[in-house]
Amino acid sequence: MSVPTDHVLALAAILFALGVLGFLVRKNVIIVLASIELMLNAANLSFLAASRHWSQSALAGQGDANVGPIFAIFVILVAAAEAAVGLALVIALYRLKKTVALDTVAELRG
Amino acid sequence: MAEALFYLLGAGSVLFAVGVVRARMPLFSVLSLLGTFFCLAAIYLLMGFPFLAATQLLVYAGAIMVLFLFVIMLLNLGNEAELERHAGLSLSGRRLLVAGTSAALLGLVGLAAADVDSAFAADTLPKERALDDLPTLARLLFSRYMLPFEAASLLLLATMVAVIVLAKRQRERPGASGPTAREPALREELVESGVER
Repeated sequence: MSVPTDHVLALAAILFALGVLGFLVRKNVIIVLASIELMLNAANLSFLAASRHWSQSALAGQGDANVGPIFAIFVILVAAAEAAVGLALVIALYRLKKTVALDTVAELRG
Repeated sequence: MAEALFYLLGAGSVLFAVGVVRARMPLFSVLSLLGTFFCLAAIYLLMGFPFLAATQLLVYAGAIMVLFLFVIMLLNLGNEAELERHAGLSLSGRRLLVAGTSAALLGLVGLAAADVDSAFAADTLPKERALDDLPTLARLLFSRYMLPFEAASLLLLATMVAVIVLAKRQRERPGASGPTAREPALREELVESGVER
């Protein structure tokens, strides 16, 4: 595939921006968590784009192309842990408030 | 061919991402997220990362999505009446939509796999191998990245404990108000479970 790295990074930027938008705008906790997953995926895509960039023939040897996939694996791991804790919090919140709307949670007066 | 497929998948992932943000119900949002994950997995395949594409499908689409859907079902956030009101489609229409979308996504991932296969056969991939070949990754993970690896295992253990504590239903104990009153009960529990004797 000979798609330039810029285009892959642009796609990652669009996905990340959509994730930020969802995180800031939406009130439903589950949609907010889904937006976080979207942002983590965009970060993964840019890691892999950079890895591919460094492995391509003209640039081979200048950077370490293996760092990208390793970081991507760690990002997936952290995403899994984050989703588990986030959803446990959603369950605890629902037990307390009988709702998953974020604007009803104002105990800390944030 | 691969380029066209990349732009098609990119457009698909952006469309599904818009669906994640705009969906009125969490169920639709999470299902859109599943579509984004599939498109991204096919893109990883095209970019030469077959192992990460598989991990994306197994961990994200397989495990994390199931967790999301499980919580939605547990809290009954996608009840049938609201679904009828928002979907604007009959049951068979929804079934057709879901079946069509799933078939299209599977087809796209299959096309990407076929494309990568032909690239391998023609030796056009850089260095004649995948960019994330497992022996190299494993060697790095257990040598240079040993410390992050161990930290990750600690993170997973902490997550497991945290999730159990958070999601466990707190039992009401009559008469146990302060920490001093609760201590004998806690000790009793520990002795029962064999942690302490």
